[in-house]
Amino acid sequence: MAHYQAQGTRRVWLPAAAFGLFALAICGRLVQLQVIEHGRYAAEAQKELLGDDVIYARRGSILDRNGGVLATSVDTWDIYVNPRAWKDDAVAQKAAQDLSGFLKLDSQQIRTTVKDAGQADARVQQDLDYEKGLALIKKGIPGVVALANTARITPEGDVGASVVGFIGTDNDGLAGIEAAYNEALKGVPGRAVYERDTTGDPIPYGQFRTTEPKRGEDVVLTIDRYLQQLAEQRLADAISEHRAKGGSIIVIDPMSGEILALATSPGLKYSTLQADLSKTDDPDALAILRNRAVTDLYEPGSVMKIITASAAIDAGVVTPDTTYFDNGEVYIEGKVRLTNWDNGSYGLQTMTGVLQNSINTGAVFMEQRLGTKKFQDYLIKFGFAKPTGVDLQGEATGIFRRPEDDGYSPVDVATQSFGQSISVTPLQMLQAVGAAINGGNVITPHLVKAHIKPDGTRNEIAPQVVGQAISTTTSDTIRHMLGQVISQDPDGWGRNPAKYTAGGKSGTANVPVWGSYNDETQIASFIGFAPLENPKILVLVKLDQNADLMTGTQAAGPIFAHLADDALRYLGVPPEKDNMAVSR
Amino acid sequence: MAAIHHPLGNARRGLPIPATNARLNLWLALAIGLAAVSALLPVVQNSLATSRGFDLQSSQRQEVQINGQIGVLESDVASLTSLARIERRAREIGLVPVDDPVYVTVTEPGPAPAKLPSEYLPRATAKKASPAPWWKPLVNWLP
Repeated sequence: MAHYQAQGTRRVWLPAAAFGLFALAICGRLVQLQVIEHGRYAAEAQKELLGDDVIYARRGSILDRNGGVLATSVDTWDIYVNPRAWKDDAVAQKAAQDLSGFLKLDSQQIRTTVKDAGQADARVQQDLDYEKGLALIKKGIPGVVALANTARITPEGDVGASVVGFIGTDNDGLAGIEAAYNEALKGVPGRAVYERDTTGDPIPYGQFRTTEPKRGEDVVLTIDRYLQQLAEQRLADAISEHRAKGGSIIVIDPMSGEILALATSPGLKYSTLQADLSKTDDPDALAILRNRAVTDLYEPGSVMKIITASAAIDAGVVTPDTTYFDNGEVYIEGKVRLTNWDNGSYGLQTMTGVLQNSINTGAVFMEQRLGTKKFQDYLIKFGFAKPTGVDLQGEATGIFRRPEDDGYSPVDVATQSFGQSISVTPLQMLQAVGAAINGGNVITPHLVKAHIKPDGTRNEIAPQVVGQAISTTTSDTIRHMLGQVISQDPDGWGRNPAKYTAGGKSGTANVPVWGSYNDETQIASFIGFAPLENPKILVLVKLDQNADLMTGTQAAGPIFAHLADDALRYLGVPPEKDNMAVSR
Repeated sequence: MAAIHHPLGNARRGLPIPATNARLNLWLALAIGLAAVSALLPVVQNSLATSRGFDLQSSQRQEVQINGQIGVLESDVASLTSLARIERRAREIGLVPVDDPVYVTVTEPGPAPAKLPSEYLPRATAKKASPAPWWKPLVNWLP
């Protein structure tokens, strides 16, 4: 039987080859899409299918030392509109009208916002009240998405605003404690990933995965809200009374370095913050963000005599009863004449008398007994010309001229003894005087007392002693010398508190302007502590450029005296004067 | 005449009715049942998983809402305990700022603390003697 085999012809092979090549090309493309570029296309598909959002963690609260709330966060909603869901005009109009009822916004304004956003989701309101947001979600308006957020509220209003600071729209701290402790406060944001439909809305019962946000820690401040309010009120009154450009009142516990109150002016106020920040044409507008107690330098004036006397007594070159004769002037290197603040002469004086009468030549006498190196070594020991390490941002270092510096003259060190040619921050001055009266310990002033973790664990922050400036004996001596400065006034008058024993020293420093001093601009200050034997508070009162030109004793001294009485009564310290003793 | 092979002839063919005594194959039934259960199991599992997923999402939403409400309540408490609000409320109910407190120093020692009835006192527990160390008997054996 004959067997026939089909013979391949060009008519068969050519189409077959063409189809074969075509099939090969398709296979190649499939391999490319499904194998080689699988990852990329899968990711793109996922991206199209899945939406994701940041879930902000609830920011920790800022509490005062007694647990009073200074700043806390409350859950709110940010309301977004997906423009793709509002393509249809009728749908958009109805949805915008429904939405305007919840947001108290004009429906046309909402539509304009959505149109302006283009393809991106448009945020039509930030920080909608929590309960309103829930009602809005329940209403189910097409294209409207509510994302959880938190808003910061300050129950005490403007009290402590310059310490607490504020946060930005991204929930990050921008000033004050909010910025300094941002990492601890803000917690860890979470993430929500969900399947969405073609309009971008989450698919009901679709895949939904979240990384839970971790709440931030609460921060407990050393600030006492009552004392803070008291200090702010007294400062505002003093600025008004003495027509000053600004000032500071700071209250610290000299034994622990805890800052109980820190009032500065000008300073941050929540009630005017938006308006202040919007003054873009005013270069000084952002100055309110500075906490002047840590960022601004000044010449302390005669308050520095506390440090000079402490150094001289600690070094053993003088005692409180060492005498010298003041003829009202002293010549440095026989050329430069330095005089007393009132151009007066006080005759034979003890070192206690130097502090009582604030005699410049007496301070120079002590400095010269010490010698330049030793005197400036003591300045370093007391913490000058270096940051205190306070837990606020932007702390200034301070400066004083030393023999190795350009332009140094022996006049510099002589004037440093009574608080000129040296610049300090208010907190540096408090740290140094604190060391002079607390037994000699230089303690870092601080604003944070403890952290409370979300699980309730409380971590206390211990005071940090960074050095010993003088001996305990010297410190006792200085405390009593400063007590004699205050006791020159009758109880309840001038700088002498009515109910408590106290010690302190005033300072009045002219403001240097282009290398010379201008008598018309001055800084009046007073630094004092009470009670005398066991100080509970150390207070700095500083008035900047008081137009009435009253001295530190006259302007700032009485503020200290009244504040000491009120603060110690509040702190439950039994009065030492007019105390009724009943024995049975 | 050719004989035609007709083995059945006119004999009637019997109807193919199953025998009445045929028995149900148990193994077959078991296999069918197993197959049915196997087919249903993923459906049931899937349904349960979906249902649980829905419950979980619902609970998560509830948790978020409750946390939010706690936050709102906490902020309410913070606002109600602010110094300004306390002062305002105190004035509303007729309180006035306090005068200087009078501190009284008493030199007489205070009264002895009140005695608690014995049933409220902590029960005295006999201190358990600590066991002798293991080497003690060895020492005792020494001459």
